[in-house]
Amino acid sequence: MNAPASRPDLASTADQAELDPSSGKERSTARELPCVHCGLPTPCDGACNPKQVFCCGGCRQAYQLIHGWGLDQFYSLRDQTSGSSENLSLASLSSRNRYEVFDDDLFLGRSKPVEFGQGQLKTSLSLSGLHCAACVWLIENIAKRTAGWTSARVNMSRHTIEIIFAPQQIKLSQIADLIGQLGYTAFPLTDQPVGAFAAENRRLLMRIAVAGFLAANAMWIAIALYAGDASWVAADHRSLLRLFGTGLGLASVLGPGRVFFVGALASLRTRTPHMDLPVALGLLVGSVVGGYNAFVGVGEVYFDSLSMLVFLLLIGRWVQFRQQHRAANAIELLLRITPQHARRIESQQPGDGSAASESNDPAQASGDGRMVTVDSLQTGQAVRVLVGESIPVDGSVLAGQSMVDRSLLTGESVPVAVGAGDEVTAGTVNLTSPIDVQVSAVGMESRIGQVMQTVERALGKRTPIVQLADRIGGVFVVAVTSLAVVTFAYWLRSGLDQATANATSLLIVACPCALALATPLAIAITLGRAAKRKVLIRDGGVLQQLSRPGVVWFDKTGTLTEGRPKAKQIAGPEEALFIATALERSCCHPIADAIIQAAQQAAATRSESQAIDSYVCQNVALAVGGVSGEVQQIDEAGDSIRCWDAKIGNQPFVSAHANPIDVPMQRAVERCVDDGATPILLAVDGQIVAVFGVADRLKRDASQTVESLRALGWQVGILSGDHPSTVQLIANQAGVPKSMAFGAMTPEEKLAVVTSASSPSDESRDDSESRLNPADLDPAIVRGTTVMIGDGANDAAALAAADVGIAVRGGAEVSLQSAPVFVASSRLHCVPELIQASKSANRLIATTFAVSLSYNMIAAGLAMSGMITPLVAAVLMPISSVSVLSLSLIWPTFGKETR
Amino acid sequence: MSVLYIALPIAILLGAGGLIACLYCIKDGQYDDLDSPSVRMLIDDEPVQQAAESDADAPEAKL
Repeated sequence: MNAPASRPDLASTADQAELDPSSGKERSTARELPCVHCGLPTPCDGACNPKQVFCCGGCRQAYQLIHGWGLDQFYSLRDQTSGSSENLSLASLSSRNRYEVFDDDLFLGRSKPVEFGQGQLKTSLSLSGLHCAACVWLIENIAKRTAGWTSARVNMSRHTIEIIFAPQQIKLSQIADLIGQLGYTAFPLTDQPVGAFAAENRRLLMRIAVAGFLAANAMWIAIALYAGDASWVAADHRSLLRLFGTGLGLASVLGPGRVFFVGALASLRTRTPHMDLPVALGLLVGSVVGGYNAFVGVGEVYFDSLSMLVFLLLIGRWVQFRQQHRAANAIELLLRITPQHARRIESQQPGDGSAASESNDPAQASGDGRMVTVDSLQTGQAVRVLVGESIPVDGSVLAGQSMVDRSLLTGESVPVAVGAGDEVTAGTVNLTSPIDVQVSAVGMESRIGQVMQTVERALGKRTPIVQLADRIGGVFVVAVTSLAVVTFAYWLRSGLDQATANATSLLIVACPCALALATPLAIAITLGRAAKRKVLIRDGGVLQQLSRPGVVWFDKTGTLTEGRPKAKQIAGPEEALFIATALERSCCHPIADAIIQAAQQAAATRSESQAIDSYVCQNVALAVGGVSGEVQQIDEAGDSIRCWDAKIGNQPFVSAHANPIDVPMQRAVERCVDDGATPILLAVDGQIVAVFGVADRLKRDASQTVESLRALGWQVGILSGDHPSTVQLIANQAGVPKSMAFGAMTPEEKLAVVTSASSPSDESRDDSESRLNPADLDPAIVRGTTVMIGDGANDAAALAAADVGIAVRGGAEVSLQSAPVFVASSRLHCVPELIQASKSANRLIATTFAVSLSYNMIAAGLAMSGMITPLVAAVLMPISSVSVLSLSLIWPTFGKETR
Repeated sequence: MSVLYIALPIAILLGAGGLIACLYCIKDGQYDDLDSPSVRMLIDDEPVQQAAESDADAPEAKL
């Protein structure tokens, strides 16, 4: 049980290869091994131990924790590797005390611990980052091994954890910290959705339980009656059985079956034919005729069929409800656009001179306020927003000057400067310095809250195919009713009894319960199977659209590529990396993160982790394209040893502020560009001294995915905001034709391409505006479905405008809001799989539809001609439901199970 | 066969008892999570002794 912590030289060989400035191109020959913890390919040479390869400090830390506890079984249990520690490395390592807020009841809000007896406390937290059985196992086992943490119960479907702990031994913050170290994020429960779901789920289940009980009992009574009809039964026993059967059936129709009448009434009021209507009519006629027959003691009582009908339909509803909610739920968790907590500070009164002058500059003001839940904030209160945090509320800036990233709302990626008095909105990100904000709107009243409400409304909308089923049902009910009347009139010649019997059996046998069940069931089953493959679908309508081939547009960064840029030093002294890191610390940018990570790896290699910390930066100025500042090297006593005036950034930025670039550096830049990487230059005291290449690699299954999409008859293209040459390079690697790969696209241009393809009528208008002429595209594309796959904030508009938007993991949350499909694994290959599955699902829907419809037609025909007695009708009716049910269940939606 | 007059109500009452128990379980929240239990059963229970041991020595290591 020797924890790898005792081996500081762990990844040294790998890192040396990464950093050696001279090794330039040979690096490609070095092996790549998956990181033990997250599976990310990590460069290393032949000598390193494949069991101890880590891509970053966060993964190493998580592995040590798991290994140190002897819980290595986690790695064999889990069914997929994924970067669960993605955001861990920097965030949790640097700020250990960020979990302290978990000890504050105001922060916890609804998760406030309650007394659980024997001095223990109990609480529930939301948990993100759960993937599979192994996660449950890991967390629950760690609880067992931690003193004071009595128990943990993870709820996979709701993504919550119930914690029981002894407050005298362990604090909740320590538990949250432990969970955080494993790469999961715990946060207090947010409000309603979960609770509302649980309540609705329980209500549906209770209805099913009651209906099931009544149906089962009605069934066995019916069997006794049928047996009695076949052989013999005493008249008084028969009437007793009929009495009980009628009672049970009536209870079923009036109890759990009431929902259908409510739905039917609603559909009558709104004059929209709805499947509830024929169901309710069938129930009504069956009950009335059955009740009459039971009363007079002759003819059939249909209550066994009726109660069974109610039971089966309720089950269908519940399955659908659960599947839809499971997808929506998981998305909801990731949709956490606005922060749930804010740092509340005592707001000064405007005009109160002393207080105002004291806290005019929030960067200097002491304390960061108290963490409270956003819901508890009221208009007029003030909150402080630190650098890199999302602004939690709508409001106006009280003090401070900063740049704000508003891409979430506007899709615009260029930051906007704000100062005192300016309006800021919830969900935007504060980039450069702390600001104080006076609250004007919170939660649902904020702009982003209103956007989310629109999305919720859209979620509740019925999918077109279900609407179609409802429409057919509407026609059906009219047809069946008129047919019943005709039948009744026709058979009246043969006597009232005969007429009633035939009309009733028509109504019973033609009751479209299989029809009502078929489509929602097929959709629900497909959504459920997709969810098992980590593809969450918010809207069943996409299944229909994906079955028609068209064109798939990929975003480049984060979709076709890993989305996590890696930096490597191309030229310059080693120290340059540390100077660069000191500068980049102050900004939140993927490229800055890449450089910091490279420096951390370099430092770890030389077992001099303090090396990074000895470089500090002052007077940082952020500008477009780069950062500048004064970097000092300090010794252990904190005295400055050396001092530089340093600038880092892209070529235009650094060239503009430094002496002309010399030949070796120019070569390094060229080499970098040839490699497909973006050159980042470092200038020290006006001289360019180092070049870093920052590149984003192609995902491993990207080219395979493109190939299978093309095999399925789809056109594949790339829309990227990146430099055209980089895009061409990636297109080449992924196998996308050059004519379909477009670089340097603005969000508006992306939108134009996507909409011109979705609606051909707009073609002429787009011609003038977009650099891409839609007429260049194959006309066949323009007619088909347009799919946009992306994740950046830049894609939000295009994702929403495409026929089907598919958001992939790791992207900005805004994509999830606008896209109906979310792929929760990094496997791109889910996309062709999904397309195939939707084809299959559509065939299933058509088949079940045809089966139930033709069944109903034939049975209705037979009933009209008087060939089916109500008894036979009652037996036949459930068979159609069962056939639809089993057809749906055995249908191979996703082809052969691969797991 | 007049036993039917007693047997039938009793049968239904027994069933109703089961129904009430089921409704109680649903209300109690036992059906709220239908995903984790199926996963949890795949996880091997550890021998009680070992669990007790590791409880005693491993825990505070990382706190």
